[in-house]
Amino acid sequence: MVGLQHYIILSAVLFCIGLYGALAKRNAVIILMSIEIMLNAANVALVAFSRYVTPQLLTGQIFAVFVMTVAAAEVAVGLAIIIALYRQKEKVDVGEVDLMKW
Amino acid sequence: MIWALLGPELLLAIFALAVILLDLAVKQKGVLAVFSIVGLLGSIGASLALWGTNGIALNNMLVIDKYALFFDVLFAAAAILVILASTDYVEKLKGFQGEYYALILLATTGMMFMASTRELVSIYISLELTSISLYILAGFLKDAKSTEAGLKYLLLGSVSSAVLVYGMALVFGTTGGTHLGVIWNAVKGLNGIADNPTLIMGIVFLVAGFGFKIATVPFQMWVPDVYEGAPTPVTAYLSVASKAAGFAVILRVFFEAFGRAPWLSQSWGMLFAILAAITMTVGNVVAINQTNIKRLLAYSSIAHAGYIMMGLAAVGLMESQLALARSGILFYLAGYGLTNLGAFIAIIAISNNTGSDLIDDYKGMVRRAPVLSLGLAFTLISLTGLPPTAGFVAKIYLFNAALQSGLLWLVIVGVLNSVISAYYYLRVVKTMYLGEPASTERLSSSGPLRVALTASCFGVLFLGVLPNTVIQVTEAIKFLVS
Amino acid sequence: MGLAISFWLLAAAAVGSALAVVLLRNVFRAALLLISCFFAIAGLFVTLGADFLAMVQVLVYVGAIAVLLLLAIMLTREAATGSPFSRWRIGGAIASVALLAAMIAVFRATPWKVADQSVVLKPTTAELGARLLTPESGFVLPFEIASVLLLAAVLGAIVLVKEK
Repeated sequence: MVGLQHYIILSAVLFCIGLYGALAKRNAVIILMSIEIMLNAANVALVAFSRYVTPQLLTGQIFAVFVMTVAAAEVAVGLAIIIALYRQKEKVDVGEVDLMKW
Repeated sequence: MIWALLGPELLLAIFALAVILLDLAVKQKGVLAVFSIVGLLGSIGASLALWGTNGIALNNMLVIDKYALFFDVLFAAAAILVILASTDYVEKLKGFQGEYYALILLATTGMMFMASTRELVSIYISLELTSISLYILAGFLKDAKSTEAGLKYLLLGSVSSAVLVYGMALVFGTTGGTHLGVIWNAVKGLNGIADNPTLIMGIVFLVAGFGFKIATVPFQMWVPDVYEGAPTPVTAYLSVASKAAGFAVILRVFFEAFGRAPWLSQSWGMLFAILAAITMTVGNVVAINQTNIKRLLAYSSIAHAGYIMMGLAAVGLMESQLALARSGILFYLAGYGLTNLGAFIAIIAISNNTGSDLIDDYKGMVRRAPVLSLGLAFTLISLTGLPPTAGFVAKIYLFNAALQSGLLWLVIVGVLNSVISAYYYLRVVKTMYLGEPASTERLSSSGPLRVALTASCFGVLFLGVLPNTVIQVTEAIKFLVS
Repeated sequence: MGLAISFWLLAAAAVGSALAVVLLRNVFRAALLLISCFFAIAGLFVTLGADFLAMVQVLVYVGAIAVLLLLAIMLTREAATGSPFSRWRIGGAIASVALLAAMIAVFRATPWKVADQSVVLKPTTAELGARLLTPESGFVLPFEIASVLLLAAVLGAIVLVKEK
């Protein structure tokens, strides 16, 4: 029988995959995609908690709606910055960044 | 009633919209700065008018108490100084002045909401409002460095907020609610970590997510690059207001939701104590070798986050010390805020003329700009923590709070760190006063900027000489719900 | 039984495509697999009885976010090899796997308080709307802040992209 644990372990797997992508990739667009995977993982956890912990209140689902709103806003601003960067550099690796290089 | 309680935030949001519209109508863009400052002053007025009222509204989510109002005033005052200091900068903005001021107002609105909500969804969304506005502001100049700063800030900020929201999801899943009060009710029934390990993991995620906003080690890696690349007024705003907003949220969340169960609060108190020690040491040690003044102040701001975290540790380790430690944090944030803004304002004026942020180019600055140099020297002395400045009183006061909670070792680390920091702060002062100037050309600065610098220096002096007036206020600040 | 089968299928699809997103070097394929990951998660929402969210997931993530990402990829001239690894390829993998192991261990050790599952699942749209917009019992405050947030994002996107 599939239960709460299945869903949150699935969300943990997705979260860690997203985190790995954010750490181990250099292309800004791919890093943005990895962040989206992390946010989706949080949404899976939220909706699962909503279903199994507070099925009457839908609090988790509402939280997920807000996470999606923020995700859309982040991507829009992120792509605007990437386009600005592209205009300056006109180089092949759009938004090539190494987040862990300091 | 709801409208009145929302006054400070609502006013700013309306002014932000109005600034954009006004931008279309007026040719003389200086009007926009004046208009934004009027909005911020109105917001401060609204906060002061509400001072003393205790209100909870909108399904328990909005909480207006002295704590929230104190931060409202702090954020708005910081925004005013930043806007005044931006006047020399606006010609670089390529005709986007209206949006620049609007985004500063929106970021301030978000910070005010952060300080006045006690519900995780609202905290998350207001934190994102602040962050997204700041990502844009960091990349506002659209030159190579600024854009890269914006991109790095956005990517790392989004990763950290994804971690934060996952942590919030875990806390919600284990406690069944997103209100801090509901969470506390669930936490109350637990006796130890074994009762609910997932909750602990959620709290660790929260520390990581919030830790990014206040730039504690190991989530400080974005600070130097972003501070260096962002427009300097935005850097000043980031280092002061955004950090203060992070602390405002952390203190409320951790005290109200997790702070009154000793087994739990002592764990996070100790976690913050260790992070504080590491953060201040890393910040100060790396600052020593910096040659760029903005990077130097970036590492110095990391170190100061470490000092302020001593207050959080004090609250966690001894609940009875809440009043003293909270007051210490608030006073430190006010004093550090004025000081750091003053330092950045002086730097804006100097580098606008010389076009360089290198410390070597500050040689003999006292002969080229005596007033600016005096202002910068004074604020650097305050950052070091020497009398008669706000930094001195704030450090003594906060270190005392940590001592009362039995954190002697941490206070010793803090004092040693202050000694290290004296070296690099005073080296800048020495460069300015004893070095040979590269040229004898006098520097010019605009009137508003001089007003902002004077105001922050007098504020620093006032807090240093007559701290009791402000300490009386901060000691009277309580959480409405506790 | 049907629910269990769909869970496992959708979970495998979501994890598989997420892995492909972070492992492939071809940016364009990564974006397409990200879309499939979003679809799988929409399916998971259906298995959890979140009908409205499943629709929003498809509309927002697939319809808006994925399209925006594809637009950005059009700027990449070497889409086939445009997604190189950073120096954290190995270190990041070790850190992520360690975090995952810790998370799974923690989740398994937690005594979950699961509510009564006999409640009949209803369509959630009307209920969600009421919960979002009732001042006394809903999430009006975050809803209003979200509208300000979208304003800030729109402003920012215009400022950053527009040339003067």
